[in-house]
Amino acid sequence: MKKISLLLLVAFTGTLFVAGIASAKPIAALLFPLSGPFSAMGTDMKQGSEMALEEINAKGGVLGQKAEVVMGDDEFKAPVAIRKYKEMVDGQGIKAIGGTLSGGISVAVNEWACKNKVLYMCFCHTSIPLGKEQCGYGFVSGMIPYQTGVATAKYAFQNLGKSWMIVTQDYRFGTDELSAWLTISEKMGGKFLGNIYSPLGQVDYSAHIPKIVATNPDILVINVYGQSQDALTKQLGEAGLTTKKMKFVIPKSHLYSIKAAGAGYNENFYGGHEYYWTLQDKFPKAKPFVEAYGKKYGMPPSQDADGGYTGTRALLEAMNAAKTTTDVDKLIKTLKGFKMDYNKGPEEFRACDHIRATSAVIVRGIGAKASGWNFGEVVAEYPASETLESCENNAKDIPYGAVKLPGK
Amino acid sequence: MKANKENTSNTRTRSRVIWVTLAVFLIAPHIISTPLTTEILIFGLFALGFNLLLGYTGILSFGHAAYFGIGCYGCGIAVRDFGFSIWGGLLVSIIMGILLAAVIGAIAIKKKGVYFAMISMAVAQMFYFMALSPLKKWTGGEDGLKFIPKLSLTFPFHVDLQSSFPLYYFVYFVVGISILVIWRILNSPFGRLLQAIRENEERTIASGYNVTMAKFVSLIFSGLFSALAGGLFFVYLGYGPLQTLFWLTSGTILLMTILGGMHTFIGPVVGVAVFLYAQNKLSWTMERWELVVGILFMALILIFPEGIVGTIKVKYLARKTAAQEVGEAE
Amino acid sequence: MELNSTLLINQMLFGLALGAVYILMACGLTIIFGLLDVVNFAHGTFYMLGAFATFVIVSLFGNFWLGLASAVIIVGLVGWVTETYLIKPLYGKDPLYPLMLTFGFSVAVTDLMRGVFGTVGQIVPLPQFFSGSLMWGGIFIPKYRVFIILLMLAVLIFLWYFFKKTNLGMIIRAATRDSLMVQTLGIDVPRIWTFGFALGVGLAGLAGGVNSTIQSALPDMGVEITIECFVVVVIGGLGSLGGAILGGLIIGQVISFVSLFASDWSNVAIFITMLLILLVRTRGLFGEAGRL
Repeated sequence: MKKISLLLLVAFTGTLFVAGIASAKPIAALLFPLSGPFSAMGTDMKQGSEMALEEINAKGGVLGQKAEVVMGDDEFKAPVAIRKYKEMVDGQGIKAIGGTLSGGISVAVNEWACKNKVLYMCFCHTSIPLGKEQCGYGFVSGMIPYQTGVATAKYAFQNLGKSWMIVTQDYRFGTDELSAWLTISEKMGGKFLGNIYSPLGQVDYSAHIPKIVATNPDILVINVYGQSQDALTKQLGEAGLTTKKMKFVIPKSHLYSIKAAGAGYNENFYGGHEYYWTLQDKFPKAKPFVEAYGKKYGMPPSQDADGGYTGTRALLEAMNAAKTTTDVDKLIKTLKGFKMDYNKGPEEFRACDHIRATSAVIVRGIGAKASGWNFGEVVAEYPASETLESCENNAKDIPYGAVKLPGK
Repeated sequence: MKANKENTSNTRTRSRVIWVTLAVFLIAPHIISTPLTTEILIFGLFALGFNLLLGYTGILSFGHAAYFGIGCYGCGIAVRDFGFSIWGGLLVSIIMGILLAAVIGAIAIKKKGVYFAMISMAVAQMFYFMALSPLKKWTGGEDGLKFIPKLSLTFPFHVDLQSSFPLYYFVYFVVGISILVIWRILNSPFGRLLQAIRENEERTIASGYNVTMAKFVSLIFSGLFSALAGGLFFVYLGYGPLQTLFWLTSGTILLMTILGGMHTFIGPVVGVAVFLYAQNKLSWTMERWELVVGILFMALILIFPEGIVGTIKVKYLARKTAAQEVGEAE
Repeated sequence: MELNSTLLINQMLFGLALGAVYILMACGLTIIFGLLDVVNFAHGTFYMLGAFATFVIVSLFGNFWLGLASAVIIVGLVGWVTETYLIKPLYGKDPLYPLMLTFGFSVAVTDLMRGVFGTVGQIVPLPQFFSGSLMWGGIFIPKYRVFIILLMLAVLIFLWYFFKKTNLGMIIRAATRDSLMVQTLGIDVPRIWTFGFALGVGLAGLAGGVNSTIQSALPDMGVEITIECFVVVVIGGLGSLGGAILGGLIIGQVISFVSLFASDWSNVAIFITMLLILLVRTRGLFGEAGRL
């Protein structure tokens, strides 16, 4: 028994070495959380990136050769992401990296990329174009967090009411959305009734329900994410609040959260997304994208899939346009103002702060009428011009960075 | 007579093992990926510190991430906000480790093993939550410690800590010295006292030793080296991740120590090397990595609780005793 | 929103409902420790399994009560198997071994569940007659929370009756004090231990099933609650059921009121409470290890 185990151990070690002897020379390294609590969204991102890679290779690849891109797992941990990127850049001479789902990790990766002069294409909602974080090497094919906050706030004050209360998850993303809402509220005459901070990972909101009931706002903003969003949505329903007159707005919603909420996600719920698949009815280029993705992966693309797809495709096309895979300065120059029309109408990466100027959509729930992946209707779309600040403002992180947050 | 002989030959074997290990790590970064080897050294030091408490004194701490994290953040904040040099930062890490260990020791060192395990886990979790939310202004919350300038060493000569090899050899230097210090501690009467406590605490007390003080000192050393490892981690990354305080970090260091062999000196380092190497290679291809790790851990506890080095040692000793007996019979 | 007695009473009621779940879990943990001398680091994992068991049964059969009952039964069975094959072999060795084993178990099973069910939360719908709240003056509490409190009381009464009045209960209590003696009397003590473990994790599974309707069922839901349970039993004194109950009540109220006044400290508050109590009473409030 022990002899066999020893033999297996040697064989196992052998395979590790063989696995290390990789294949052709890769031109980019992408990481996503493929294990751990957000693996579902990380996998979406990877799938979007894979689809983009295949399309590029079908059309001739990069610089006349089949493009090799390494895709791996960052385990949703910053040290792992940095270590793996380090290995790719040091060991394989890669000069372009991309990926990650977590805004927090993207910030750390961005800082590292700047110090090491590597191009970083971030696929998610991130703050790297703002203020001190911006250093010239980062690009964003997702959005800046405040954008969906601005879009949802504008829609809410135009259509749903004036008095509002908010439950904010106590981390960068949450406070960014809070800042957006406070700013828009002031501009549009909203009445701010109070904020409740919720630590990351909170799943029981029963202690806060009495306060919400006592305050009785027109609008309750559910500014918490992941499990917390699922839990709060459910518990509001449990307390009987979701079938009355209160409206619920979620600055950044997700296909998976809506599905988790099920019939509880009714017509009183409104969520902000960067991409929603029913846009295929509006944009001619969206339909083939949604269909191809659906055929390949059995479900419509979420905003994470779109972030991965757009970022990967743009990066590879830029390599072709600039005729290089390693000259980082040339690639950056090419990507500045790079025009795209992939699945949402014409878009571009802004030359000054490298952010993809894309729209935010508001999706309203349809409650019991939901079936399969059809559980919402797009009620509004806000183009980048209405949600994205100017480059000067972004560079100084105003106005949202300067908002005085309540209770701190 | 025989016992003495065994002792010195054991010691000789062990010191040989240590020198071999140091030699291996001298050339390792040229063979395996440099960032990975650097991490192996750092976590190896963390594991050695951890094992001072577990393998040698018999106390299980389930919250050692607290020391690692506080060392990491301590060095980072010292360097970023107070302009300390790298050496100064590492000194801050060491001091923070000692202080934390003293506080935890004061509260919990007299407690039964399981209590200590639970309290240490709770304290580490508390630090994690504090760094995450209320103390966000200093720690950066879930973003971690950022806006760190390019790190470099100025004394005794200039070393650019941005590039892989100089960074590696700096870490190697610090870890190497630490290994020798830990070796010195364990190879002393104090070290033997710790092992006596692990083997039979009541008898050690009956023999008149101040067991509580010994345990307390062991905890201090353990915290010290774990925090130093945390400081090195900050220097290596150029960034301070919240991950360092997370409970899984505590669990992983336990796993790696057991994997290598908690009742040996160099076992923990071997465990770290094997685990990190496998994780690096396999998590690229395997989504259910944690499942494998969990099963592996249970299998270790059930079948090979002495770990890699421990099992090898037992085999080697058995063969040696058999050979000796044969030799004596002739 | 001003601070008045209505708001305070509401918070207290919510704290009670929160505490009820912790009490269930802590009782389970205490039974296991009192009987087997094992600290179950996988307690939260069984809680998570209970939530998923409820989800599966309710999805298949549509009956909430069946789902809740199956949470206890299925998790109890898993506990039975776990103790027999994974923990029993470690008796006689250092007590840290079973502790470490349960830790490995929690890592493995959590990831297994991620593989099977994915990382998207699964919903268990709340039965119709539980939705909405009971109101009285300004005081209100969701009906489901009332149910949780009543369920906890029922379970406590059951446990009291079981341990004080039934034969099996008395055997278990005796085995907690002196298992050697009980074995000499011809009773299959290892079987008793297995049963004790199954009962303890069954309680955790029940807590999970109960919570599955108000949070989504997620593989990672067990981790933090394990640590919170430890805080509860350390406060109450490991090995005492009375301590588990008192600890659970305290923790529930602490979380509820800290959430009201300083919500970003609500996670940290329970640890600070634990440290304060330990400084004053080093054995915990009821701390007599080994007494059920």
